[in-house]
Amino acid sequence: MELLNQISQQLQAGKAKDVKALVEQAIEAGIPAQTILDEGLLSGMNVIGEKFKRNEVFVPEVLVAARAMNRGAALLKPLLAQDGAKATGRVCIGTVQGDLHDIGKNLVKMMMEAKGLEVIDLGTDVSAQTFVQTAKEQDCQIICCSALLTTTMSVMGDVVREAEAAGIRDKVKIMIGGAPVSQAHCDEIGADAYTTDAASAADCAAAFCRA
Amino acid sequence: MPVLTVRQGARRHEIPFSPGACLGDLLHAFDHPHPCGGRGVCGKCSVLMSGQDAPVLSCQTYLGDQDAEVYLPEAIPLTQIAMTGEAAQQAAPEGAVGAAVDIGTTTIALALYDLHTGGRLAEAAMINPQTAVAADVIGRIGAALEGRLSEQERLVRGAIAALLRRACDQAGLDEARVTERVITGNTTMLYLLTGQNPVSLSRAPFKADTLFGHPHEAGYLPPCMNAFVGADITCAALACGLCESSSPALLCDLGTNGELALWKDGRLYVTSTAAGPVFEGACISCGVSSIPGAIDRVHAVGGRLHIHTIGDQPAVGVCGSGLLDAVAALLEIGAIDETGLLEDAPYPLAPGVFLTQADVRAVQLAKAAIYAGVRTLLRAAKIAPGDVKRFFVAGGFGSHAGMGSAAVIGMLPRELAAKAQAVGNAALRGAAALLLSPKKRAEAQRIAAQAVHVPLGGDPGFNDAYIEAMMFDTDEEC
Repeated sequence: MELLNQISQQLQAGKAKDVKALVEQAIEAGIPAQTILDEGLLSGMNVIGEKFKRNEVFVPEVLVAARAMNRGAALLKPLLAQDGAKATGRVCIGTVQGDLHDIGKNLVKMMMEAKGLEVIDLGTDVSAQTFVQTAKEQDCQIICCSALLTTTMSVMGDVVREAEAAGIRDKVKIMIGGAPVSQAHCDEIGADAYTTDAASAADCAAAFCRA
Repeated sequence: MPVLTVRQGARRHEIPFSPGACLGDLLHAFDHPHPCGGRGVCGKCSVLMSGQDAPVLSCQTYLGDQDAEVYLPEAIPLTQIAMTGEAAQQAAPEGAVGAAVDIGTTTIALALYDLHTGGRLAEAAMINPQTAVAADVIGRIGAALEGRLSEQERLVRGAIAALLRRACDQAGLDEARVTERVITGNTTMLYLLTGQNPVSLSRAPFKADTLFGHPHEAGYLPPCMNAFVGADITCAALACGLCESSSPALLCDLGTNGELALWKDGRLYVTSTAAGPVFEGACISCGVSSIPGAIDRVHAVGGRLHIHTIGDQPAVGVCGSGLLDAVAALLEIGAIDETGLLEDAPYPLAPGVFLTQADVRAVQLAKAAIYAGVRTLLRAAKIAPGDVKRFFVAGGFGSHAGMGSAAVIGMLPRELAAKAQAVGNAALRGAAALLLSPKKRAEAQRIAAQAVHVPLGGDPGFNDAYIEAMMFDTDEEC
């Protein structure tokens, strides 16, 4: 549909105001909120995610596109709740204890939201206990940990052990990422997935929630 | 072959050249500055040439088939700067020798001095052998915490001993005569030198449990300012006279960690920003360090790239200053757009040497970290880039980086880049000052004590500035 296509295009261009106006138009035209979300906002954000993976767009473009998406999504939120729509999954995300970097973590969060996932952002300097407690109390399917320092990467292993100790290891997938993190580290600590970039992390999380 | 005669004070050098040679290139060996990267815009490389009434820009002057003669200002010897306003240790006995050492994360440099006369006797440098353990500071801290602390201590002490031996051989003197040492370096390097457990440097809140500033059996260790702004910056500030300025002055040490120190109204605002290793040529597809054949300068003329390589050798890769210039030149000819998209990737710079899209992204991250760090520091001191009256750029990359390119790509605000003064290894000069004049140790303590740390991690203002600065169109706003 032309209107939905326009939403997607304007979102990719990072035009938050235009996206908001177009989403309002779409609602008035009687297009279901879920359709506007899926075929307008999320499809536009997916294009950005793919381009980001290929290095064709960079962090700033992803951030302005995500801001535009959030402006549109805010309008749809009450309608989606009315329709009884549910997020496809719930994730808690944070930068591990001892580490204050959050740009990468924020990118992953936005990309996951663009996949229709509900994301609980625990911020930075998050202890293993906080990750696991949140996952338990809020019934998250995924714990997602970011670390940018080789010296704080070890906390990710603590998260895995803490989840085991809390008896939720079989109910939750643990995903890890950050510049110094690798597949080898993921294997070593027994996490479920390592991804190299924000868009791949979102793909992976969406796949876990579908499974 | 025609000959260029270079007169510098009482010294006289003769350099044969091929007709058409650029005067600026011939003067490289004389530490003749080219802050604008040979673009002919900064005027810093001007020299007096016989037969010319006015000074000429050496970077824009090409020699013909006739002999030529130029006059360079007297080079300021290391010792002279080190001793500003003060004599060498009057008490030092004749023949006493001291060593100043700067332990860089990548390179260790040592200089020997006659403590009685203040004269420099020899100098030597080598790659820090700890690079085999890990390339960066955080990696070495991590290794130390995993049981490789004493190994790293042994490595650095061995390197200093080897450099001392080499310098003594050069100067033809007995090592036993070296009675004094001053060893500077960043906070982590001093932790590793002294075998101090660096756990406090490894994670937030990054509160160092010691900042040195005392004699040690290895030598006098100047004071650090905090976990990530070390004694090397204290020494560099001392060498530049940063804190003697009555107007705002900024010192920027551009390496893997970009350390920044801004002096304003009796306060020294300091921070460090993680630029990463790209400007050391690391993590770049065709990146190399400053070796012969490294492309060290690139400029665009009439829509085409012109490259210069170290030693005029066939191009083998691109080093930090060349990378900076290449991105600036590609922006100028429109091959890279303002978002950083490289239309025709990979882009060839020379046969077998090219720039990829991922390389450009890496440069965007690095330059944004430096730019946002500078901005955040200026904001903390409540001043604009134009208010900074003196701007010192230290470090290997910093001293060779084309400041014009730095402004073009948005690594530094344009008003600052125009004032840049390359100061080379200022940390080593500062250490030499402390060696020759122990009275300066109190001054170093004062400098370090004045430091106000401006943390960048988790600062929303920094994050916004950082993301904004990743683009190439972030010029000239305040």
